[in-house]
Amino acid sequence: MNKVSTILITLLGIVILSAMAAITFGPADINSSELISCLVGSCNNSIANVVIWQVRIPRVLVALVAGMGLAIAGAILQNTTRNPLADPYLFGIVSGAGLGATIANISLADNLTIALPLAAFLGALFSVIIVVFIAKVLQRMEQLLLAGVAVSFMLASITQFILYFGEPFATNRVIFWLMGSLARVEMSNFYVIGTVLLIAIITVIALHRQIDALLLGDESAASLGVDVDKLRLLMLGLCAALTATIVAYCGGIGFVGLMIPHIVRQLIGVTTLKLIVGSALIGAIFLIWVDVIARSSLPHAEIPIGIITSALGSIFFLFIMYRSRAIT
Amino acid sequence: MSTLINISGLSWRVKNKSILDNINFTVNKGEVIGIIGPNGAGKTSLLRCLTNQGDILSSTNVSGNVQLKKRPILQYSAKEIAQHFALVMQKNETIFALSVEDVMKMGLLPHKSLFSLDSDHDKAQIILALKKVGLADELHSHFNQLSGGEQQRVLIARALVQASQILVLDEPTNHLDVYYQHQVLQLVNKLNITVIMTVHDLNLASLYCQRLILLNHGELVCDGTPEEVLTPTQLSKIFGLPCQQSINTITGATQVSFYLNSDKKENNFVDTFDE
Repeated sequence: MNKVSTILITLLGIVILSAMAAITFGPADINSSELISCLVGSCNNSIANVVIWQVRIPRVLVALVAGMGLAIAGAILQNTTRNPLADPYLFGIVSGAGLGATIANISLADNLTIALPLAAFLGALFSVIIVVFIAKVLQRMEQLLLAGVAVSFMLASITQFILYFGEPFATNRVIFWLMGSLARVEMSNFYVIGTVLLIAIITVIALHRQIDALLLGDESAASLGVDVDKLRLLMLGLCAALTATIVAYCGGIGFVGLMIPHIVRQLIGVTTLKLIVGSALIGAIFLIWVDVIARSSLPHAEIPIGIITSALGSIFFLFIMYRSRAIT
Repeated sequence: MSTLINISGLSWRVKNKSILDNINFTVNKGEVIGIIGPNGAGKTSLLRCLTNQGDILSSTNVSGNVQLKKRPILQYSAKEIAQHFALVMQKNETIFALSVEDVMKMGLLPHKSLFSLDSDHDKAQIILALKKVGLADELHSHFNQLSGGEQQRVLIARALVQASQILVLDEPTNHLDVYYQHQVLQLVNKLNITVIMTVHDLNLASLYCQRLILLNHGELVCDGTPEEVLTPTQLSKIFGLPCQQSINTITGATQVSFYLNSDKKENNFVDTFDE
């Protein structure tokens, strides 16, 4: 067994252990023997049973798939644009989703269960279309990211404009949603995110050689028979779908897609197959534990998860800059 | 000798500028062909048309026929083209820490289906190809940390893994020092496959190509052996400098050298700069 598979199997073990450990954290006082008896289905304490099966397990599972999905979306964007700083956030995908969710929240107060994720998804798709259109007009790949940042700010300003004039309750709801939280997730969210995640992973594994070919330049990839434009568009669409689904249920959780693939590149490798498998595993571990911090570090309140990931992310960003300065 | 490629009446016009103008020639199996000419003569454009990169032949600006094995190249899918042509382009930069192995695996792409993983046979092919270019020890090295000459050799090895019948190189000796220029071209010359490459240095082209195609302003000026193509009259007209042909007494290859007319020497260049 080589080094890479050893690392991946170890990581898989840590994912499983982390998920199990994360179930033990929470405001309700449930001891370990109750926990085990509830998990195996012979629970005497009905409150503990509800807390474990309807609150903690869905939450940990959503953290797991959301962490995987955000990290994979970053990894795919980075490899297909050959830019290690590409991230769903910087591509405007999240602000697009935010705008969609804002409009849904303000205009359709009821029936948000279906409308909110759908609106977030449409918003994300909208922003990707604008970004790709701008990059196409400019004819420069390197400017895809700058176009993303510009679109991101534009959509965020529209969102804020709507919020400013919106009804206070809806505005509050959106502002908290934008900070990101796993407090209200349900098991059905896990199934939806999990399905999109599975489709994304299968597509990327199918096309891993094509994506790898891009790493040495569009010209080189085209000479190997890759339809570069089509592939990049497909991957952008996939990342938009994945990110939008996660953001729709969990709100804004930034920087996961930036940080995790960077760590995987150092630890495992840069080619697509290694990068997405590694990102999925480390992303899951990361978000499971960040969510544990979010719900257990303050005595009577939760910290929105997006605040923690953004704080960690910005420190990480500075760290990368410091290190690359040291190398050159 | 069997014909691999047949080009007839190939023209490429953009607005009023002619990039390629009525090009006709054939490529036979096993030939090593050098495409030469001044900057902007259309050398790289010809390579692009030859391999239909970016589906350029479908463009309304391009007319004429390019046939590969007696079938119009437009009928080939991008994957089929990659199975016939292996390209080594000028720009190959990456900011990611790709290993030589990662770069080599790209060569497998045209022969792989979706989802496919690398087999032991693939790995053996990669080692074999790297041995042929003398870089078997560099399998796990970072591509970016290799010298320019070594990178070129890795890309040539990748072309071998691609197992295409025709190797196409765009200025393979660019940015290489003299030693690596000879090393790379000698390697290409000894591979025993059909090679089409653009070469800037006329003497290198003469030494390592059996056949030269001279382009100027998009037109094919001359097509033949180095001795036939590298004539002083022809070259001095195209490059704008007097030229002398000689035979290298050691290699036996036709060589050319350019010089300035001593009485006009300074004036010539001052005039050029003034424009």
